[in-house]
Amino acid sequence: MKKSMWLLWSACLAGVAAVWIWTGRSVGETEEKEKHAIRLGILLYQGDDTFIGNVRQALEEQAKRYEQETGIKVVLNIEDAKENQNTQNSQAERMFSLGYDALCVNLVDRSMASVMIDKAIGADVPIVFFNREPVEEDLNLWEKLYYVGTSPKESAMLQGEIVVKAYQADPLSIDYNGDGKVNYVLLEGETSHQDSLIRTEWSIQTLMDGGVPLEKLTGGIANWERSQASAMMEQWLEEFPGQIELVISNNDDMALGAIDAIQRLQVTDPINIVGIDGTPQGIAALERGNLLGTVQCDRTEYADAIITIAAALALGEDPKEKIELEDKIYYWAGQKAMFRN
Amino acid sequence: MKQKTYRLFFGVSAVILVLLYLMSSTNLIIREKKTEIYPISVIVEDSSDEDYEKLRKGMDRAAQELHVDLNFITLYQPNDQEQQLGLIAREISDGAKAVILSPANPVEAMAGLDRMVLNSPLVILGTIFPHVQAAAGISIDYMEAGKLLGEAVRKNHKNMPVYLFTKGLEYGYARDLYDGIYQAFMDVDVPISLIVTQSDSDSVVLMEDAISRYSQNGVIIALDENSLEEAAGMLEEISMNGVRIPKLYGIGGTNRILNYLDKGIIQGLVVHNWFDEGYLSVEKAVEAIQGGGNLKEQTNMEVYYITKEDLRNPVYEKMLYPIY
Repeated sequence: MKKSMWLLWSACLAGVAAVWIWTGRSVGETEEKEKHAIRLGILLYQGDDTFIGNVRQALEEQAKRYEQETGIKVVLNIEDAKENQNTQNSQAERMFSLGYDALCVNLVDRSMASVMIDKAIGADVPIVFFNREPVEEDLNLWEKLYYVGTSPKESAMLQGEIVVKAYQADPLSIDYNGDGKVNYVLLEGETSHQDSLIRTEWSIQTLMDGGVPLEKLTGGIANWERSQASAMMEQWLEEFPGQIELVISNNDDMALGAIDAIQRLQVTDPINIVGIDGTPQGIAALERGNLLGTVQCDRTEYADAIITIAAALALGEDPKEKIELEDKIYYWAGQKAMFRN
Repeated sequence: MKQKTYRLFFGVSAVILVLLYLMSSTNLIIREKKTEIYPISVIVEDSSDEDYEKLRKGMDRAAQELHVDLNFITLYQPNDQEQQLGLIAREISDGAKAVILSPANPVEAMAGLDRMVLNSPLVILGTIFPHVQAAAGISIDYMEAGKLLGEAVRKNHKNMPVYLFTKGLEYGYARDLYDGIYQAFMDVDVPISLIVTQSDSDSVVLMEDAISRYSQNGVIIALDENSLEEAAGMLEEISMNGVRIPKLYGIGGTNRILNYLDKGIIQGLVVHNWFDEGYLSVEKAVEAIQGGGNLKEQTNMEVYYITKEDLRNPVYEKMLYPIY
């Protein structure tokens, strides 16, 4: 009896071992294959956003450059969430189930990243977030999460310096009515976006530190949008006729909206407008003399960082060996101030 | 003895349970129904897929319904027919079960494909090539589209000279459009000039020059989406300074183009149902995969001429702004 028990036990253990080995084998086989192609999913919060549209274009260019340089085929699939976080979560889920190698995500709602991160962990698909920074606790949930963006404090300080320099060179160029104070209006981005609050705070702070005597007339949230900013500015121009001397905008699109309103109402006051992002449309306005200045983000560097990190993760490599990161997970793209000639 | 039998019974039962659990969790006994996913590559003629938004919506819908894993492949340089042919071969060797192609230069594509042996079915977004082993073609009647545009211009601007903007008659289906427009003006004495804007740097200069020269008395018809967007952008800028701008017509349906129509920068457009075109192309590709790739079927999409007023017509609204 004892002997038969041992035999039975041995048979069972052998069976269990066989099952384990059988299931483990197929996993090992796929891991051993060397990758000659990677699939990256790009999820955008809103494709119509000018800055994001330009980043998208730069991402496509950088993916092609990477493909040509390394010989590794890069398949990019770009999806637009149209400002709906649920849509974006579904897009991510589909990409996880189709076995994408990595995702590059421009979140709709930066406070809702954990849902996507949980699923990414389950599917073992790394994520490079960009433009909209998830909260720190979410980014620390897993070691395969990264963030690429521009420092909002740096953008704001550069924006402030544009006005400070112009004021120091000729105070009347900013304070055109010469009353000793610069009356300004403020166009802000979404309240939920981290950049919006920081850009506003540090832009004003830099202006005050630079000795520009500021007086705020009014301000409003135009959600980064040209049309909303335009409508707001139109209202302010009617409310404060001949008083607005400076428009501080959190981005170029809203600055362009302010220009639209000024042109529509045929206002001839020399109102100065400053933006951030350095979009092609913003730079065109700068060249035409409609903008006093903007802060240009190096889009090529920005997109290159996203593709480099995502490709390294997709190939199972350590991104830190490919690109210099702050606190192991952050990459801040360079920026420069651009002035009207 | 009885106790020993019980122990043996429970011991064996426990081991069997563990074994069964392991087997079931590893698909050994209860196999999940495996849905076959078809990898299909879509090769477009541009270096960006931004302008394919509506077509892609239809493709994505079909991909979800028909279990397709869709890859959108763009070119290093727009309209590079040679690269397109190379990409077809690459995608098939990388495991694409079918390829959907929007040919950059249909004549060159036909010649190139004639020399290739394709191991996966090919669906062409355009007219099917007679000698090429393509499974299906989804096209619009560009000649008819040209005719519609020509007739609208003829009716709205009697005897005004017409200037046709194109990046080149050999690209896309500009040649068919051109022929269609010519047909519409066959029996009237209206001067028609062709302005070819092949490279990016040239196009801006040529268009600006043409627009400034013909602004007082001329109608522009753009034969492709890029030329139409560029021309509309320039006209919008000029119009801001209060300068009279020429009338603009064209073909295409990107959101930018529709916005220009809404703003009155573009007077008339020829459109078709891009969503259906995208859906059909994926559906035909799947049918070709399942049926062995010998469909050889041409589907023609209907074309419509629309003006600003039609943008609010529910029929066109659904077609031009598909919600998905």
